[in-house]
Amino acid sequence: MQYATLAARALDTARLRGATYADIRFEHTRSERIEVRNGDVAVLSDERSSGYGIRALVDGAWGFAASSDASDTGVDATASRAVAIARAGAAIGTKRFGQAPTDRYVDRYATPLAIDPASVNQATRVDLLLAAERALHVDPRITVGRAWVDLWRADKEFFSTTGSAIAQRIDQSGSALSALAVGNDDAQMRAFPGDRGLYLSGGWEVIERARLRENAGRIAEEAVALLTAPQCPSGVMDIVLGGSQVSLQIHESCGHAAELDRVMGWEANFSGTSFLSPEAIGSLRYGSPLVTIEIDNTMPDGFATCAYDDEGAKSGRSDIVRDGMLAGFEMSRDTARMLGRETNACVRAQSWEHVPMIRMCNLNLLPGETPFEALFDGIADGVYMEANRSWSIDDRRLNFQFGCQVGWEIKNGKRGRMVKNPTYAGVTPQFWGSCDAIGDAASWMPWGTPNCGKGEPMQVGRTTQAASPARFRKVAVGVGYDA
Amino acid sequence: MREAEREVLAQELIARSRADLTEVVVTDEANALTRFTQNAIHQNIDQRDGTIAIRTIVDGRTGVARCNAYDPATLDATLARAIELAAFAPQDPDAMALPGHANYAAHADGTDTATSLATPDERAASAAHIFAVAEASDLWAAGYVRTATNGITIANSLGALASYERTDAAINIKMNAPDATGYAERYSNAFAALDAPALAARAAEKARASRAPRAVESGDWTVILEPAAFGELLSYLTPHFSAQAFEEGSSFASGALDSRVTGESFSLADDASDARNIDAPFDFEGAPKLRVPLIERGIVRGIVTDARYAKRLKRPNTGHALPAPNAYGPQARHVVVANGTQTAAELIAGVERGLLVTRCWYIRNVDQRRTIVTGMTRDGTFLIENGAIAHGVKNLRFNVSILDVLGRATFANDAVRTGGYSYSLVAPTVRLDGFRFTSSTEF
Repeated sequence: MQYATLAARALDTARLRGATYADIRFEHTRSERIEVRNGDVAVLSDERSSGYGIRALVDGAWGFAASSDASDTGVDATASRAVAIARAGAAIGTKRFGQAPTDRYVDRYATPLAIDPASVNQATRVDLLLAAERALHVDPRITVGRAWVDLWRADKEFFSTTGSAIAQRIDQSGSALSALAVGNDDAQMRAFPGDRGLYLSGGWEVIERARLRENAGRIAEEAVALLTAPQCPSGVMDIVLGGSQVSLQIHESCGHAAELDRVMGWEANFSGTSFLSPEAIGSLRYGSPLVTIEIDNTMPDGFATCAYDDEGAKSGRSDIVRDGMLAGFEMSRDTARMLGRETNACVRAQSWEHVPMIRMCNLNLLPGETPFEALFDGIADGVYMEANRSWSIDDRRLNFQFGCQVGWEIKNGKRGRMVKNPTYAGVTPQFWGSCDAIGDAASWMPWGTPNCGKGEPMQVGRTTQAASPARFRKVAVGVGYDA
Repeated sequence: MREAEREVLAQELIARSRADLTEVVVTDEANALTRFTQNAIHQNIDQRDGTIAIRTIVDGRTGVARCNAYDPATLDATLARAIELAAFAPQDPDAMALPGHANYAAHADGTDTATSLATPDERAASAAHIFAVAEASDLWAAGYVRTATNGITIANSLGALASYERTDAAINIKMNAPDATGYAERYSNAFAALDAPALAARAAEKARASRAPRAVESGDWTVILEPAAFGELLSYLTPHFSAQAFEEGSSFASGALDSRVTGESFSLADDASDARNIDAPFDFEGAPKLRVPLIERGIVRGIVTDARYAKRLKRPNTGHALPAPNAYGPQARHVVVANGTQTAAELIAGVERGLLVTRCWYIRNVDQRRTIVTGMTRDGTFLIENGAIAHGVKNLRFNVSILDVLGRATFANDAVRTGGYSYSLVAPTVRLDGFRFTSSTEF
């Protein structure tokens, strides 16, 4: 491993300064982005960043210091700073959040790649986006066409005073397009795939899988059609949500609600707390018996997949909701210990300079048995909605209101005419309790989110919520437009 | 890295470049944050980094590469990569419009030496004051104490050279009771100007006063939004003043210049020289950052531009570029709302029946062009009856058009900086009539 010598120096310094435990995480990241906007290459960038973050534990208090100075003196200073910060916290605290871990892993991992992005030259990348974006301009009312690709590679090395030494190479890729139509005193946007693109672990094969060029014309035509489509009706009715919107629903109303740091008040001042509590495990009905939501941080193309999390714990699978009942939480070592459980390795940091914290990782709604078209069966008067446009939920993750880019009326079990500005609202357990059909495995997709925000300083997380389309009964629809 | 070192580094890179135009942006940041919950510190961090961003334009084609190492090999590789990337971009006739040498307006010093030297022990001492207030009231506190120092240098081969240093400090407190919460915040470039005990007392009083909250009915209400709540709402209006949103038609301002969009009481400008929210006198392209009236007495008066959009729209460059490359266009990131004449207490006293909102949460666009947003109240929502606070109420969801409610607005004279990590602006307490709540929650 490249950084073993420097790591040993840092960990020695931390111990000598008084840390009972310390770890260091080196990261070298490369972020490439290309974005085409109305025929211009608006973004063509290549960013590299290297540095390390050191966690030190002193008397049950954590300190974290990060630096890009990888000289011997830089590492010494940063390790010393981490210990001093921990000591400052320990000096005033009567409550202790931290405890030294004892596990030790020596291992390597790399994201499986079908097509290494490095093998795809820049001209091919740009040409793909130019062609896809050009295909959006089906009508002069398309005022903005966009198409973009993101490619990320992170080489991480983690070392701890328990002897862990873990090297990982994580590749993540994604792409999308969007069309903005303006006219009829209105502006309507459509994006593809889903609401913000297809983002997965993997290489250029992820970009090819999105099939941007092939879908651009249809998406643009939908944006134009929305300008003259009737307003989505308001009232209480049955709805079917497309897979990417179900993914967003999981993300906001389950994924964040089940973060154990949030449950324990660690995010109270900013992103809030949760309506869930440790005592509710096994007794709180979160949704209908059809609803099973599980963490799987080992799924091959999951956006958050890795072998070890950013505090050196081994990835695995665990339940959050099983057959509609609350079964667990997303946890770190410290929070899991407070529940008498083992961590399920849901700790991530945005980069080397960010402190590791609990993040939603791969959190999936297991598929049901209903073929997609059969989800409309039995709905006399309802709405099918696709692709998120607006999302808001209270700071305990109960009262939500979401809007989608496009909807279609459902009449007597059949999809009817397009409607614009579809919205719906509800309260989390009641809403999931109204789920009476989930799409089958053929419609199940791993939807990745590249920009999940949490923490202070704000950290951006990458997460997957795999989902199928699903049906929900007696939902408030048209909220916000019913004045 | 000091200002002089950043400037030498930038100019050396420009001298080595064979591109038609080269721009170098060097940043140096130190950010320390002591975060607490349950009256104890649970996250305590110190981040230090410096970045070098190189934008090259070759034959009208632009590429950008960025690194965070200062060794010659990495810098040369980054410069070469920027030039290499430019070869794959189509020609853009607006690319070469970047500013050259400029004289910047005299600007207040944004630095405070004591803040740049603040220690973990000093931040912990502030946290300890907050814990003491919480414990005395049988509450628990969550929040943070932050100190930071940032430096930036921007140079390009047309002669632009600009540097700025800034310190920043913040305290953010949410006091928690079993059935209620209260919030207070303050920002300054000087850590010593933040009064932790006073802020803690304010948050604690809100938490105490909102105990045993009662449900109130949805519908149209008169509301008093305190600066933190109003600032969050305004942050969804400011993107409309981008020249990019204006040109593409997603902004309400598209086609509405010199038209009335709100009541006469509302005036909004972008002003990075305002002492309450001081920032660099230049943008991320090195253009002088102008004070731009956006809305004057209810009439749309301006939009903000960068070099590219100034040329495209044949308007002045107002100096509002974001770091290149970005897909957002120029942005108004230092907006200031004009004060009214009454105190916040007088505004409350004038409400027969209404709601006082301390803070908003998770506002999102529902219909961007119509400025319809939804969001929640949080951390101290109160019923006002006959001009006085009656009791706490359970939180509510709103759906409003921002421009519509600003048509019925009365402003207090207490504008302060509010925001945090996502945005930073100066806003007063405001009374808004006909503010529509559509549902409530259980707490």
